[in-house]
Amino acid sequence: MPAAPHRSYQNLQAYTFLAPALLLLLALLVYPLGQVIRMSFFDVTPRAERWVGLENYRRLLANPAFWDAFLHTVWFTLGTVALHLGIGMALALLLHSRIDARVRNVFRGLLIVPWLFAPTVAGMIWVLILNPFGILNGFLAALGILGTSETINWLGSPSTSLLAVTAVNVWRAFPFAMVMLLAGLQAIPDELYEAAAIDGSGPLQKFRFVTLPSLRGVILTMALLDFIWTFRSFDLVYVMTGGGPVESSQVLATSIYFDAFQKFQFGYASAEAIAMLVILLAGSLVYVRRAVQE
Amino acid sequence: MTPPPPTRRQLAHAAAYTLLALAAVVTLFPVAWMLTVSIRPNVEVMKIPPQWIPSVFTADAYRQVLGNPRYLRTFLNSYVVSLTVTGLSLLVGALAAYALARLRFRGQRGVLMFLIVTQMFPLVLLCIPYFQVMVRIGLFDTLTALVLVYTTFTLPFCILMLRAYFAEVPREIEEAAMVDGCSRIGAIARILLPMSVPALVGSGLYTFLLAWNEFLFAVVLIESWDKRVITMTIYSLLAEFVTEWNMMMACSLLASAPLVVAFIFLQRYVVRGMTVGAIK
Repeated sequence: MPAAPHRSYQNLQAYTFLAPALLLLLALLVYPLGQVIRMSFFDVTPRAERWVGLENYRRLLANPAFWDAFLHTVWFTLGTVALHLGIGMALALLLHSRIDARVRNVFRGLLIVPWLFAPTVAGMIWVLILNPFGILNGFLAALGILGTSETINWLGSPSTSLLAVTAVNVWRAFPFAMVMLLAGLQAIPDELYEAAAIDGSGPLQKFRFVTLPSLRGVILTMALLDFIWTFRSFDLVYVMTGGGPVESSQVLATSIYFDAFQKFQFGYASAEAIAMLVILLAGSLVYVRRAVQE
Repeated sequence: MTPPPPTRRQLAHAAAYTLLALAAVVTLFPVAWMLTVSIRPNVEVMKIPPQWIPSVFTADAYRQVLGNPRYLRTFLNSYVVSLTVTGLSLLVGALAAYALARLRFRGQRGVLMFLIVTQMFPLVLLCIPYFQVMVRIGLFDTLTALVLVYTTFTLPFCILMLRAYFAEVPREIEEAAMVDGCSRIGAIARILLPMSVPALVGSGLYTFLLAWNEFLFAVVLIESWDKRVITMTIYSLLAEFVTEWNMMMACSLLASAPLVVAFIFLQRYVVRGMTVGAIK
């Protein structure tokens, strides 16, 4: 072994390797974040900036539209994460059952496909399918659920728009949950199941007392990542409904975008963005702690 | 002689196959619909009752997309941006990942924590300052701006993924090479990188996917037609009155097919990359 290099030399070496990445991220993340925090205290117009203190935040908290968008985001996220967990777990268990390894890979490959589409593309496919004259209504009519002259305007009516967008998001991103949970299942040592079998456990008890406890970490990580990604997602809602009709599917990300780039209220939108960041960070502190521990 | 009755295991297998096949059909139905819409004339799209097999087959939609320099241009732009972002993220990311996986230094936890927190940023938050800064420094409406801002979300991801991989490559081989007189850079180039090819393929492909599928920053930072990327082009085909659905679906398929094929063949690498950090 070469003699251990001097401590400060080692630090220098590490930061030389890290420098390009850290400089890029400082310039492109930390500086812009500082800008947003600063702007949230100003009234920003293209020509001038005027200090307004906490006015933007006061307006934000008093604005029912903000709370609506917040609630829509919460429902969108909770619905997505819960269904991803359920569907992902069911499919992971099926893929993990003792089926032929090649067949397993084929099915895993096929079931991953929706996750590879851009949210924009996924959104467009479903706008076509959910159209009042689209194939979903056609199916429902063929099954006799809808009368021949009836149509449901899934994306065009306030009572179904958020539901429809959530369903599409469930379809688009469940493969991530499935793949994570499958990898988690594959990492559980067989001995645990053998021991449970010796103790006379049936399949349900094995699931309850071996599988679930062993998957705790994976489930937590997966659910938190899914929470973050869904909570901040923009593309799908923007392309499918644009937040409408009458704001019925407006989520925080789209609301911030419209406030900034349609109404040009950069200060107000900044305050809104900071509020969103705070919620996201609070929701994911657990994850950060876990991830750093390992 | 009658064949023996199926065992419980065979029945369980049959049930698993049936359920998986059912799940695959439901999951892939929208993809199949997309395909059949792309090969029919637009007037045949919204028919009541809907028709699975179009009464007229035509490759017109594909011809319209591939024969139009405007559309070809957006494909080219997307390839240029995504490949540059992937190259940049892998290069810069591998250096940082090496330091995090192999060296001990002050502030290591802090750097790690920072990288994890960056993944939680709502990207829409960054749009506002990016827009202002890019206008100010004259990069608004350029592909360079897209490469820079895409790197902010692909780089932390690349670093974390590569770090997890590097940590799995036994360090003794590199140490042996360094004892034999190889420099640290030499040990990285001759030993660690060749052993990490699967890792680089996996992270590279995933980074490419993230860049290729991005939409929000492109909408904020790009204005002119000849700078558009593919997601913008597809969205722009959605029209108020008569949408050219066949063309939009053809365009979507042309944009998605290469990635789907690549992912299915390289499944192993990508799946490991997705899960490697989370399982341990």
